[in-house]
Amino acid sequence: MPSVNGAVPTTIIVAGLALAGYALLTTARNRRMGVGLLAGLGILEILLLVEDGLIAARLASGPHPAGLATLIGYLIAMPIVPVAAAFWGLLERSRWGAAVVAVAGLVAPVLMVRLHQIWPVIRV
Amino acid sequence: MSEPVAPPEPTASPPGSTKTGPGRVLVAVYALFALSASARAAVQIATKFGHAPVAYLLSAFAAVVYIIATVTLAVGSPTARRIAVLSCSVELAGVLAVGTWSLADPATFPDATVWSSYGSGYGFVPLVLPVFGLLWLSRWSRRARTRRPTVTSAESASQTAGVGVDHGEGN
Repeated sequence: MPSVNGAVPTTIIVAGLALAGYALLTTARNRRMGVGLLAGLGILEILLLVEDGLIAARLASGPHPAGLATLIGYLIAMPIVPVAAAFWGLLERSRWGAAVVAVAGLVAPVLMVRLHQIWPVIRV
Repeated sequence: MSEPVAPPEPTASPPGSTKTGPGRVLVAVYALFALSASARAAVQIATKFGHAPVAYLLSAFAAVVYIIATVTLAVGSPTARRIAVLSCSVELAGVLAVGTWSLADPATFPDATVWSSYGSGYGFVPLVLPVFGLLWLSRWSRRARTRRPTVTSAESASQTAGVGVDHGEGN
């Protein structure tokens, strides 16, 4: 799998994995989603929006990748993930709400790797 | 991504439906796959269908199955559960058949589908997901049966016997 360089994607990968670990711990301890997990989702959301902005700026100023439609789809879908997980966590007031947050945390690194595959210049 | 589906404890979970409790995780992951598979299939079919028609049509079929599974798990009525069992079964059969096909005949698959190589491109989640879906749904049908008090003991006895027979067939 190709590596993802660049400070923001790397931070997103680390933050996503840390959030997933914390959320899985919450699930294992039979706790529901609390303020800590919500804050983690908030940080992930901000990071994803920053990454979105950086990619959009690069798209506006230079050449486009072959899979432009797919890339735009990712740009739209990315910021929705933490928001959807937060709603799910608030809706399901059990350990399984935290488990959904874990899924969101694990999706973030996958998104970063896929972005790099779609457009290798994404190191930002 | 398979961690959240831990063995559920029957007494702890409140009365709900297939979409509550561990089902939330299933619906979330299914929704993710429904979205990504359908978006990917749409882009592939719209932009380069001739490149790998079989792969792209199978991607689209997988996307439809994921959408049906997501919706029926989220609805959770008895009819929806039956359709969910069907779509999870089709999904499991699909990932096994297409996985084998893609390994035996790589020429037909110049581009990957969700189910190629048993879903290895997606961390084997496509292979694991229908199994957890069917386990979760079987728990619900069992619960629905045990709600009828008159048949409970007889049915649970015959079920235990059935499980015992099944064990003998495993290899």
